[in-house]
Amino acid sequence: MIEVKNLEKSFGELHILKGISTTIEKGEKVVVIGPSGSGKSTFLRCLNRLEQPSSGQIIFEGKDITGMSEKELCAVREKMGMVFQHFHLFPHLTIRKNLTLAPVKLGLLSKEEADKNAMAMLEKVGLADKAEAYPNQLSGGQKQRIAIARALVMNPDVMLFDEPTSALDPEMVGEVLSLMKTLADDGMTMVVVTHEMGFAREVASRVMFMEGGYIVEENSPDKFFSNPESPRLKEFLSKVL
Amino acid sequence: MSAFTQKLYDTFIEGERWKYLTNGLKTTLLITFFAVIIGMVLGFLIAMVRATHDKTGKLKFLNVLARIYLTVIRGTPVMVQLLIIYYVIFASVNIDKVFVGILAFGLNSAAYVAEIVRSGIMSIDNGQFEAGTSLGLNYRRTMIYIILPQAFKNVLPALANEAIVLLKETSVAGYIALEDLTKGGDIIRSLTYEAFLPLIAVALIYLIMVMILTRLVALLERRLAKSDRG
Repeated sequence: MIEVKNLEKSFGELHILKGISTTIEKGEKVVVIGPSGSGKSTFLRCLNRLEQPSSGQIIFEGKDITGMSEKELCAVREKMGMVFQHFHLFPHLTIRKNLTLAPVKLGLLSKEEADKNAMAMLEKVGLADKAEAYPNQLSGGQKQRIAIARALVMNPDVMLFDEPTSALDPEMVGEVLSLMKTLADDGMTMVVVTHEMGFAREVASRVMFMEGGYIVEENSPDKFFSNPESPRLKEFLSKVL
Repeated sequence: MSAFTQKLYDTFIEGERWKYLTNGLKTTLLITFFAVIIGMVLGFLIAMVRATHDKTGKLKFLNVLARIYLTVIRGTPVMVQLLIIYYVIFASVNIDKVFVGILAFGLNSAAYVAEIVRSGIMSIDNGQFEAGTSLGLNYRRTMIYIILPQAFKNVLPALANEAIVLLKETSVAGYIALEDLTKGGDIIRSLTYEAFLPLIAVALIYLIMVMILTRLVALLERRLAKSDRG
């Protein structure tokens, strides 16, 4: 579904990604872990071109997105949901409108359909009673569940998560992870950058370890955690587990 | 009749001199009103050019023009701009002075409005842009539906203050012989050789207008703050 070929990204002198190649198949749940500054967030943000890659190719559903015009790219992004560390809900809109804005303005759904769709989605994430509330009236965990719902109403083919629980109070991490787990069980293709090792172990179909702009090791969670090959990963796991 | 009431009579009643003030006030309000509209519209367009360039790197040429415009307008006194527009640009044209006033103050205000609006746009977290884009909204739609509503709310008080400043700045319109409120008071002074009453009256009228407008801005700010609390 997503094929990444020799992806590189530099910010000025700073060489963040130094040649990433991997393929993400439909239905896979890829969890990316690694120390901060390893380039894992940049990698994720290149996948829907929030960052413009310096070189390499990203082929999504058969099309190379690295050289696409803004117009083509918008169509691609409709199919790639993204969830951010800091939620980025639209504070001037009610929760319901946060969910209906994109489908309605892009002409995918009528206002009535979008409202109905949004309510069903809010039901699914357990926040139907918050439909008319504003984002600043919600807790962090609720905000992130709404952010996930907002991405889901676009009916994406893949969901990208950029450290979705890193900005949450500890007691709210669980509700977000369990929603993501439900999503995984429903068969959604997911790429998740996270520090939640428990989630990686339980939900991932493949775990990827990044460091210094490279994918150092990737494997099934069993082998990844119980039998790491590279010394760098061993060291990392010994520190975080 | 006491000396003071005699002066009051001479200043305002005699020869219907109060009309210099009321007609002047009309001109002042007319210039301010239309100059505010020109300033807001043009200022908004300039701000969009500047912000689009800052965010996307596009519109290079327009951005250079906008920056030159802002530098020149904000770097020279509004009175000099007014004189240049009237005596240089429209030197050979017989043109309505009120129109010249509207144009000069509108063009001047646009530069300040542009920077207010631009700062409002730039103050919105870039994450809002990214959230919009990640949903498949293009730059224009993200701007219209996500960024601008938030930016406007933040800068509305500053824009209202700019309108108040503009109202006071129009008092230099007399330099192109426009009979605005200030000029009206000055004409009475030159007729009666009595400066105190007409000028104080002029000052009071400005003060009352500014106080009313300031009060409205305060109400507006309070309403906006209320909706912030949800």
